[in-house]
Amino acid sequence: MISFELSPQQKQIKELVHWFAKHEIRPIAMEADRLGKVPDEWLNKVNKMGIHLNTSSFSGGGRTAKTGEKNGKKSEKEANRMAVIATEELAWGCPAITLSLPGAGLGGPPIQSSGTPEQKERFLSIFTKDEPRWGAYALTEPEAGSDVSGIRTTARKVDGGYVLNGQKIFITNGARASWTVVFATIDPNMGRAGHRAFVVEKGTPGFSCTRLVHKMGLRANETAELLFENCFVPQENLLGGEELYSTSGNKPSGFQVAMKTFDSTRPIVAAMAIGIARAAYEYTVDLVRKEYPKQGRLYYEAAELLAEAEQDIDAARLLTWEAAWKADIGQPNAMEAAICKAVAGKMALDVCSKCLELLGPIGLDGHLVEKLYRDVKVFDIFEGTQQIQRLVTARRLYAPYGVHV
Amino acid sequence: MISFHPTDEEQAFYDLARNFAVEHIRPAARECEANRSVSASIIKMVGELGFSTLELPESWGGLELPLISQVQILQALSYGDLGIVQGLSGPGDTASFIRLQPDHPLLQSYKSSGRNGCWPSVAFIDATDRNATWASELDIRANGSGYIVKGTSQPVRLATSAEYVLIAAVDSKGECVVLWLENKHWEVLKGDFRLGLLAAGLGRLHFPDVHVGAEQVIARGKEASELIANVQQRLRVLEAAKEVGLMEASLNYAIEYTAGRQAFGQEIAKFQGVSFTIAEMAFEFKAAKHLVWQAAIKVDEQASDAEGHALRALSRAHRSLRHVTDCAVQMLGGHGYVQEYPVEKWMRDAQAQVALYGRERDLLVRRGEQIMNRQKERVAQ
Ligand SMILES: Cc1cc2nc3c(=O)[nH]c(=O)nc-3n(C[C@H](O)[C@H](O)[C@H](O)COP(=O)(O)OP(=O)(O)OC[C@H]3O[C@@H](n4cnc5c(N)ncnc54)[C@H](O)[C@@H]3O)c2cc1C
Repeated sequence: MISFELSPQQKQIKELVHWFAKHEIRPIAMEADRLGKVPDEWLNKVNKMGIHLNTSSFSGGGRTAKTGEKNGKKSEKEANRMAVIATEELAWGCPAITLSLPGAGLGGPPIQSSGTPEQKERFLSIFTKDEPRWGAYALTEPEAGSDVSGIRTTARKVDGGYVLNGQKIFITNGARASWTVVFATIDPNMGRAGHRAFVVEKGTPGFSCTRLVHKMGLRANETAELLFENCFVPQENLLGGEELYSTSGNKPSGFQVAMKTFDSTRPIVAAMAIGIARAAYEYTVDLVRKEYPKQGRLYYEAAELLAEAEQDIDAARLLTWEAAWKADIGQPNAMEAAICKAVAGKMALDVCSKCLELLGPIGLDGHLVEKLYRDVKVFDIFEGTQQIQRLVTARRLYAPYGVHV
Repeated sequence: MISFHPTDEEQAFYDLARNFAVEHIRPAARECEANRSVSASIIKMVGELGFSTLELPESWGGLELPLISQVQILQALSYGDLGIVQGLSGPGDTASFIRLQPDHPLLQSYKSSGRNGCWPSVAFIDATDRNATWASELDIRANGSGYIVKGTSQPVRLATSAEYVLIAAVDSKGECVVLWLENKHWEVLKGDFRLGLLAAGLGRLHFPDVHVGAEQVIARGKEASELIANVQQRLRVLEAAKEVGLMEASLNYAIEYTAGRQAFGQEIAKFQGVSFTIAEMAFEFKAAKHLVWQAAIKVDEQASDAEGHALRALSRAHRSLRHVTDCAVQMLGGHGYVQEYPVEKWMRDAQAQVALYGRERDLLVRRGEQIMNRQKERVAQ
């Protein structure tokens, strides 16, 4: 049956996370942006509370889901829906802080989808309450962003493992991460089939962070450049083990690992964009209700802009829920994931800009919305630019006609 | 629980409607447009399949489906041709009044006239927007316990074949009223319609100076205003659903065409100017569809925010429909502009549809006023 009603458990998680976002995240959002980092004490505190960003399922929700399993109830899988619902709330508080929350982050999905049981245990069990830890995901290079097949970081097979050489850029939480999923090629001439994914641990000799970049927004969240100089990575850190790459025949498997990740992370990123848009919208509605005239030109302009914003936010949310729902019921969702990311990324920037229009010049001076506007632009870029999402969507639409676009 | 799965029954209805739309409606579209009416054979088939009574109550022999089921079926039917769907004779938009007032004594003669399954047409005139009086010269003047209806309506569908007319209006005293006219004391001004929905029997109805007795009043005052508001909610959702069907038709047609058409040595789909436009058409289609589904559920549940959902579903459907049908013509280039291909008609039909069913901006502003005036308005569910 078609329904847009949250399950009682989803409602509960949503309320819980919203409470956290409102009382713990939002109050420090502007300050964290000014500082260019999330205060360590705060991170320690929330880590002790067990709040993590796990992009394949929000850990609060994940835990509850696990309890459900233990009870032996045959309940419908809802981790993806839960994750997008929770992430929207977190990002509503502040997207930069959300992305800085301890946890596996974007590194979680590749390990979950392609890691061996030992790897999952080894890398995903470290996110405990004793101290905050992070995971990261490093695909992008100076000469390879959208065109992932162009990665040049090399992985040379040696006794007992691989030696990595190369550079990664724009890596979220790349400096602080306890481990990073790094994509490299065993032979640039093999194209996608040569791709391999490695889990590189912090402190591995030859692995360093060379720089943190300064950005338009998301300033409180770390974006790092990583360097690999004759960096030896042991065999057991090859994601999925040799079998993953040999058993899949001519399938370009390392590439597949990278791409499959997007099917679960894009809806999450879309949900964040929606949270940002909603934050800007609600902030602006409150102000307009208090400050705007109750009739006349400005009143009608505001009514129209706000109605359009509200409509666009909800439309993007439904697209995101659809992508998450498809993942939960085990159907391919690559197109839906691309669509929701494309729509949400662009919509969110548009909504923030509408809100700035409604705030007028005062919006420039210490109001949350200008920060959200700076933060949100990258949601149209990372995890695949809006152009790439169109490409992915179009590919799926043309597939039945045998035309590869 | 969040789910996008239709029920088995809805899926079966949808499949039936979609097949019928592809096999029978679409091939007849040009001919019906030229004849400015829907052929009797199509009307008969639609009736036999039950698609003409989706909204009618069971006590009327209708299917009395919830909106969430209706929107899927209407989308499937309109996938064939919106002009034909809008031109199907029968109660038309009045079905929603009947749905909400099935036992009203005034409607019983119409009910018996449809006993054989062949419903005479009813034209629906919505004259409730007093700010838009310039658009119609229809005057509804209180006259004792009745009314005098004088002047000319805005263009409405099913005007040319209407045997009954239902008028929802704000009278000269500012009171809401719903009138039922069945004495044919009106004249059809066929006008000069060229844009679109030409099979839909568009026309204005001219009322010379018609005295309407109290016995022809379905509702007045507060009762009328509530009835009209509820009907408008349903109509907005139903009309938006038809628009979604037309969007889907345009999208699929453009995909297939651009996958086959070659230029500069390759399929034009391989040019991003083309494939990205196609992707954006898909974004719009899906976004509008979901908002329509959501509004349908809200209205079915009689949720307190149902009206807002209906307003924005239709305004978004309008916006998306204009975009998608225009893009479809663009994707076919010059071929899109000529009548060998259906997309030029779809773009015309789309523009006529959005003209008939509420201004996009007006719908938005109405929704915006709700947002600005209600204290606890949140986008969050
Ligand atoms: C704050 C931030 C955080 C990030 N975090 C991470 C991270 O954690 N891990 C990670 O691996 N990466 C990360 N990235 C990198 C991000 O994913 C890339 O920047 C993005 O994918 C675009 O790649 P690019 O910058 O090389 O741009 P390019 O690929 O050079 O693109 C430039 C322009 O060309 C367009 N373009 C490219 N190819 C096509 C095509 N085929 N058709 C049409 N248009 C095309 C693009 O859409 C874009 O408009 C992050 C980036 C930022 C800014």
